Amino acid sequence: MMMIKAIVRPEKANNVMKALFDAGYPAVTKIDVAGRGKQRGLKLGEVVYDELPKVLLIVVVPDNDKNYVVKSVIDSAKSGSKGSFGDGKIFVSEVEEVYTISSGIKEEEAA
Amino acid sequence: MKEVIAVIRVNRINQTKKALLDAGFPSFTGLKAMGRGRKSVDFQVMEAMEQSGSLSETPDILTTIGQGGRLIPKRYLSIAVPDERVKKLVDILIKTNRTKEAGDGKIFVLPLNNVHRVRTGESGETALDEMAV
Repeated sequence: MMMIKAIVRPEKANNVMKALFDAGYPAVTKIDVAGRGKQRGLKLGEVVYDELPKVLLIVVVPDNDKNYVVKSVIDSAKSGSKGSFGDGKIFVSEVEEVYTISSGIKEEEAA
Repeated sequence: MKEVIAVIRVNRINQTKKALLDAGFPSFTGLKAMGRGRKSVDFQVMEAMEQSGSLSETPDILTTIGQGGRLIPKRYLSIAVPDERVKKLVDILIKTNRTKEAGDGKIFVLPLNNVHRVRTGESGETALDEMAV
């Protein structure tokens, strides 16, 4: 299984959640976070916004579905057709074991 | 070393913290999160069905009345542990959080390459908190 952590714009979060739902990945964890990227935050005249609000979405999917899910997130999180700075990042990491607490059993790849 | 991530019910957090402490896992990072699972349910429809009693007759119907996926508040725990303690930790998390209903949450075990303790600068397994029980 793969854990996909996507950091997206708060205003795009619902769009991404909907895209994931429609793509057949309803299970998502959502956390509000703050951060900055390589543009070093946002500068508006004299004011510098060092930490910008973002939303962290966590999805765990079977290995084979990884590329498809990443693509759905990218398509739905982009602002405009070309995208722009601040649209966010996606990190993919390996998950070795997954357990469902209600049944207490270890999930296999098919889940 | 492994990172164990658990997404659990909000009202179970105190029990879980206590159980973890008793078992010698004092340290963790907790976050308030929102989440939805594999089964998304239209709550109004479900409530109406519960009142009319039709839910108990046809439990399979729950999966078909799914809606746009409503988010439910959850607690997100991240715990770093040495390889050999993963099994024990997972067992405790399942035992304290299991109600056998959907929505109990998930546990993920991720590989962790290295750990550094900021205060002393040590790294590796020695930087992990270990509490003998």
